[in-house]
Amino acid sequence: MKNWIAGAAVAMAALTGSAYAEELGDYPERPLMLMVSYGAGGATDFQARIVTMTAGNEDALGMPMAIVNKPGAGGRVGWNWFATQAEPDGYTLGAYNIPHFIAQSIEGGVEYSADSFEPIANWGADPAVFVVGAESPFNSMDDVIAFAKENPGGLTFSGAGLFVGHHIAALQLEQAAGVKMAYIPNNAGGAGAMRAVIAGEVMGGVNNLSDAFRAQEAGNVKVLGVFDLDRNDFLPDVPTLKEQGYNIDNASVNFRGVMVPKGTPQPIIDHLAATVPTMFENGRVQSRMKAGGSPMHIMTRDEVLEMWAARQETLEKLLAGL
Amino acid sequence: MDFLFYMGDVFMPMNFALLLLGTVGGLILGATPGLSPTMAVALLIPFTFQLEPQQGLILLGAAYTSTVAGGAVSAILLKIPGAPANIATTLDGHTMATKGEGAKALQLSFLASAVGGLFGVFLLIFLTPVLAQWALAFGPSHLFWLAILGVTVIGTLDSSSVVKGLLSGCIGLWLATIGFDDIMGAQRFIFHPAVSGGINVIPALIGLFAIPQIITMLTKGRSRSDAEVIKVRRHPIRLAFVEVFRRKTALAIGTITGSVIGLIPGVGGQIAGLVAYDQSKKFSKEGEKFGTGHSEGVIAAESANNAMVGPSLVPLLTLSIPGSPTAAVLLGGLLIHGIFPGPDLFMNYPEVAWTFIDSMLIGQILMCVFGLYIAGFAASVARVPHGVMAAVVLGLAVFGSYSVQNSMGDVYVMATLGVAMYFLERFGFSAAPLVLGLILGPIAEANFIQGAMIANATVGLGSYFFTGWLNWLLILIVVASVSYSVWMEIAHRRYTTKEDAVAKEEALS
Amino acid sequence: MTDLPRSQHIIASGLIAAVGLTVAAISFTQEPADAFVFPRLISSVFAVLAIWTFGKAVLGRSKVGNGLSAQAMRNLLPGLMVMGIYVYWAAKALGFYTSTTIAFFVLLSLYDPAPHGRLGTWLKRAAITAGFMAVIYGLFALLLNVFTPKEILF
Repeated sequence: MKNWIAGAAVAMAALTGSAYAEELGDYPERPLMLMVSYGAGGATDFQARIVTMTAGNEDALGMPMAIVNKPGAGGRVGWNWFATQAEPDGYTLGAYNIPHFIAQSIEGGVEYSADSFEPIANWGADPAVFVVGAESPFNSMDDVIAFAKENPGGLTFSGAGLFVGHHIAALQLEQAAGVKMAYIPNNAGGAGAMRAVIAGEVMGGVNNLSDAFRAQEAGNVKVLGVFDLDRNDFLPDVPTLKEQGYNIDNASVNFRGVMVPKGTPQPIIDHLAATVPTMFENGRVQSRMKAGGSPMHIMTRDEVLEMWAARQETLEKLLAGL
Repeated sequence: MDFLFYMGDVFMPMNFALLLLGTVGGLILGATPGLSPTMAVALLIPFTFQLEPQQGLILLGAAYTSTVAGGAVSAILLKIPGAPANIATTLDGHTMATKGEGAKALQLSFLASAVGGLFGVFLLIFLTPVLAQWALAFGPSHLFWLAILGVTVIGTLDSSSVVKGLLSGCIGLWLATIGFDDIMGAQRFIFHPAVSGGINVIPALIGLFAIPQIITMLTKGRSRSDAEVIKVRRHPIRLAFVEVFRRKTALAIGTITGSVIGLIPGVGGQIAGLVAYDQSKKFSKEGEKFGTGHSEGVIAAESANNAMVGPSLVPLLTLSIPGSPTAAVLLGGLLIHGIFPGPDLFMNYPEVAWTFIDSMLIGQILMCVFGLYIAGFAASVARVPHGVMAAVVLGLAVFGSYSVQNSMGDVYVMATLGVAMYFLERFGFSAAPLVLGLILGPIAEANFIQGAMIANATVGLGSYFFTGWLNWLLILIVVASVSYSVWMEIAHRRYTTKEDAVAKEEALS
Repeated sequence: MTDLPRSQHIIASGLIAAVGLTVAAISFTQEPADAFVFPRLISSVFAVLAIWTFGKAVLGRSKVGNGLSAQAMRNLLPGLMVMGIYVYWAAKALGFYTSTTIAFFVLLSLYDPAPHGRLGTWLKRAAITAGFMAVIYGLFALLLNVFTPKEILF
């Protein structure tokens, strides 16, 4: 039934294409802005700059997209701004990170929730991984958990902050293994958390697969497990947590994509939802992303809506126990 | 000596053209208020998509070096520090400019930048492996003590009264806690929507320095008197060379402090200039002249902030960890070409790595040449009537603070802080310690919380923060710094009359 | 030095002490306590120093600072009003470029010592305004692609 409706909607969209064009007017007639709620140089910022680099092409939006960074408090600053102050005029877009903003909205104290935004398309999925320093005695997740069982609350491990993907992964690990560990949120994001692992300030850490892959190539860390349903192409030799006997799904995978504020005119949303995924599929974008070690995962607006709803449910359950 | 081998690549026509473009562009972007080196480099990233990896990095390397130095232009001429790195430059640099010595101040700043910058890049070339260990040595407890060390500097920085200096610092520390706290995500002191995202350092900097400046100009009314009388003194470049190398202490302290602090991830770039300024003030024979347009102040601050450029890249190039936001952006510039920095970088892509480093060396020299050239005529800014000047600075301040993150809230924060700062300055408070508090607050807090979390899970608070030679060393420096300030305050009191203090304040305003 | 700065010192440091005490009061009452550990520490020091300064001002022992003179305030008032209207209202309501042009021109005219009577003066002021706006537009709109709250041209 659902598919039928979706199919009908697509057909309708195709039939009424000309009508939409009228409502759209000359959109977009000036450059667009993409708000990134992390600082310049972070993984989200870096990927956003790559996936939007072809926005100005005629077959994409026909207008360039400028990145504006609004970093602070794990993304809360940017998303608060986006939910409350961004103009829903179709020229103000934002990058989302799942599960970050959903987890933060469940935790409370912010002015947004999944209902404040309209997703457009997803470009990437970066699973969390468990890393330890290259010299660490731990060689598998079992070693880590065994240590944690002997020293309850004594195993320190870093991550990018509270109520972000890394923290979700950490909570899932504690729950699945039934141990208490010391999660140390880092104020300098994923890079800071990785530094803490390499410098030996903490015994291990949860980090982005893309960054961990690079750090492993550089010989600085060992990657012990992937918090995802399947192994990743970048690290085919690293088993998932599930394979190692911990019942952990992909709730912590960091999905990145583009959204607009609620209230943006429907024709514009439809237009963006149709064009943006093709923009992500551009060959140059794909090759640059691959070169940078950033796993891509393109999803359409409908798929993203479904994924958001699913995450909302899982995270509510997971965080209820806190 | 690999770097000499690849030096030729820098001078290939296309590469050299990009190097020139990066240097000139960097100077312009750096001189633009509100545009920090990080943003300037991030803005250039899209251009490098089209270029070869080697060429892209030449552009980025040149831009990085020259934006840091370019910030001195607006700091000296307009008293708008483009980035935290240039705060210390305003203290003496702008005072020199108002005395008609703008040309001299700019020349000194570019020469000192080049000396510091070259030293920093040479450190990067020769001592990378050693420095990499040093960069990793700083954990949360050390960064906490380092931030505390910065706080102790607050009392003596650019203020005639230690108590008022500390109070200014406290106001800054408090302002830094506004907004969401970085680790827990709790909301603190959000009394107006404009500060819901916290107070961004760059708009705050612009407001705290530029607005009091505008207001001071406005209080002079429509009189013809002040600005026009100032004669802009020509200053031969030869004399600038002599001056820079005569001030050996300031130059050495600036360069060494800059390179050492620049290496420390996350802290370095922001406070290198201020710490160097304060240190050379304490070591100088003419310490009391600091803040009144003294050349040592400019030399120490500028040599420090450029010396930091080379070492700040060490963690990135060797460990693949970006130590500063700018390094993170450069990492992006490498990644899009499929180049992963790390120990193998110099083996796998020597032509990219070494040309990049060489371009920073040559970039330092080009930056100095262009800078000295600009200094000649840019200094006549001091002759601009103050009505025009006030309007220009206001326009730049508004646009500059808005452009940081396209936020009207930042403009309100900038203006409000600025107006408040003007009145505070009239009562003996100063902007520099306030800003230092604003920068150090989050560093001290976040590292204390992280350190405490690690300590509670492992060895306990006491031994985590108070053992280990690096902790001891830092604590020792903190104690020394505090005792020095206390001693100075007592010694100072014996002979400072109200008139002396007022006279110094007059010279400052 | 008359008595004026002394009373001004008392008012100024009194205001700061009030801010310090307010901040301290908020820090010690707000929840969650975990997030307010650091603010409590700072605000305690802040409040103590502010009270100390206030005490010194009351005793007439504030040494540094020049205070405010009536003449300076009179000179300042029109400029501050233009600034206030420009920053807090016009920039957003009229658009950045429009309001900056107006504010720049008005500020220039208010504080330019050249005689108001001559046409040449006004032409010169208009030319300076146009020149400045061209630089700003080139730098921020064209080079840096900054989005102003309204359309890019405003």
